[in-house]
Amino acid sequence: MTRLAHTRAWPGIALAASILGVCFVLSLALGPASLSLDQIWHSVTTGPVSGDLSNAIFWEIRLPRVLLAFLVGAELAVAGVILQDLFLNPLTDPYVTGVSSGAALGATIGIVLHLANLPWMAVLALIGGLATLGIVWISARRRGRIDIFVLLLAGVTIAYLASAVVTVLMIRANEDMYAIVYWLMGSFSGRGWSEVEIALFAMPFMIVPLVFATEMDILLQGEKRALELGVEVERTKRALLITAGVLTAIAVSVSGIIGFVGLVVPHIVRLLVGPGHRSLVPVSLLVGAAMMGIADLLSRTVISPNEIPVGVVTTFVGAPLFVYLLRRGSKR
Amino acid sequence: MSLTSPRRGPAAVILLLVVLTAAAVALVALSACGTSDTASTDASPSPSGITVTDDAGNTVALAQPAERIVSLAPANTEIVFAVGAGDKLMAGTSYDDYPEAAKDLPKVGDFSNPSVEKIASFNPDLVLATGGIQAGLLKKLEKLGMQVYVLEPKTYDAVMRTITNVGQLTGTSDQATTVVDGMQKAKDDVQAAVGSLDPAATFLEIYSKPLMTAGTDTFIDDMIRIAGGTNLGAMAGSGFPNFSSEVLFRENPAVYIADSGSMSKPGPIAKRAGYAELDAIKNGHVYVIEDSLIARPGPRLAQGLQELAKMIHPEAYGTE
Repeated sequence: MTRLAHTRAWPGIALAASILGVCFVLSLALGPASLSLDQIWHSVTTGPVSGDLSNAIFWEIRLPRVLLAFLVGAELAVAGVILQDLFLNPLTDPYVTGVSSGAALGATIGIVLHLANLPWMAVLALIGGLATLGIVWISARRRGRIDIFVLLLAGVTIAYLASAVVTVLMIRANEDMYAIVYWLMGSFSGRGWSEVEIALFAMPFMIVPLVFATEMDILLQGEKRALELGVEVERTKRALLITAGVLTAIAVSVSGIIGFVGLVVPHIVRLLVGPGHRSLVPVSLLVGAAMMGIADLLSRTVISPNEIPVGVVTTFVGAPLFVYLLRRGSKR
Repeated sequence: MSLTSPRRGPAAVILLLVVLTAAAVALVALSACGTSDTASTDASPSPSGITVTDDAGNTVALAQPAERIVSLAPANTEIVFAVGAGDKLMAGTSYDDYPEAAKDLPKVGDFSNPSVEKIASFNPDLVLATGGIQAGLLKKLEKLGMQVYVLEPKTYDAVMRTITNVGQLTGTSDQATTVVDGMQKAKDDVQAAVGSLDPAATFLEIYSKPLMTAGTDTFIDDMIRIAGGTNLGAMAGSGFPNFSSEVLFRENPAVYIADSGSMSKPGPIAKRAGYAELDAIKNGHVYVIEDSLIARPGPRLAQGLQELAKMIHPEAYGTE
């Protein structure tokens, strides 16, 4: 405990922030339209103007997409940290709470009703995700307190149920099947500022785990011990679970289901900066954003004019890195 | 964090990379075995019966014209009705919606997952299937002794050949010839109108999130070319590939056509982020086309082809 509490957070955060900065510049400078650095600099300095195609590529396509990838990566990584540490389960990712499956159900309903090109899709996904969180929440409440293990089981069960309904809808809405499959795969293609605006709503929620950093550190030793140490366990859990649920629902609603970042980024960061949340939360946020940014950069450039689904890239980038760090970490 | 054993880490990563490479090789090998499609109209109306070759290259032989037909795709159903054999159609799929009478047919299930039992229960003497997703089903049907004709045409002309073949199989060659003549006339008219014009760079949107288009080896690609356009989607490969938005803007097509219907409504295209800067939108050359007119390999492609030509070269039709 004492070691954790006194680990200084700033060097790690500064390093992660500079990595993210490099990713930001790279993501804006590189792209399938091969804008020259001159054109990019000109677009940056003139701001968004109409009547200039490369300006439109920069301001309307590349920049919002990069920002969206960063936001979604950060959201999933922070949600991953919260849920892994609340559930005390290393295999937890933002999708076990059933929120993503609920969001997928909402989006599928949007597709079946042919609302795919309207902000409705994101709104329906958000509603689906939050409704699922509510159901899971109610299932897990016993005499005023939340049983984490019941919550986990209820989440997984609701996730299966929602997936089953999605499958039924896919079969019924035969020719919409591809749209649903593509949505489930997750992508930043065709997303613009309207999705960025939705993703920005997550910003205040990303601060919540920082506020509860000390409580989260103590909760790692179990709820009983935390109670003895004077932590308001139920209030903390409530705030954190809602936060993780909202972050996941927002991320899924704008990008579909993109795996691996929420599972692996918290682990990678834990291996690098340790389990103290004062470092773990902000560094995970930044690394999650950077990893998703790089994955999307590769996704849109490697086989242009085609795109590789970004979830595939996150796995390709993340899996070898994670295995390497695990091997290294296990020798500590 | 200590580095007491720096070698173990890389070893595990290398092993992982080897596995991934093996998977990649398998993937490449898998996609290399393409299928050949050559529907030929060497139908031999020999006294012994009817013999035609389908789009999968299989020979289908009937002793007499089919009387009990099951269709496994909306396009197939349209063709059977168009050649005048609709009364011989026992069942179709739940997505058949044209012509009106097709909706009332008994259904054997979905396009992607029809029920073998249900198909067999109609005791068909001819099953009209498609390739790709139904390939696994074909073996089962053939094992049950059914005659299966696979419709998987990849060009406008191939669709005409396919219709001729279906006419042979159903004993309605005369009406099939009328349908095919109509399609040929539509093609001739379009070529007469736009054949001498400079091809216009055309982007055809199949879906918007992610952006998807029609690539090579599709009859859509073929029809865009006949209608006097160059298909931007062809640069993304075959089939229905996804397409980078940035490349779309870099190529800046003169004509933007969005498909509407089965997958989604494209919505207000000009209002999408950045689209206002595209030449196609600036010049008002942005259109929505009914999905079933260009994406269903049946007789209505003739109408789709004419609409495409009017969209790609409005000047040739005096509509601009």
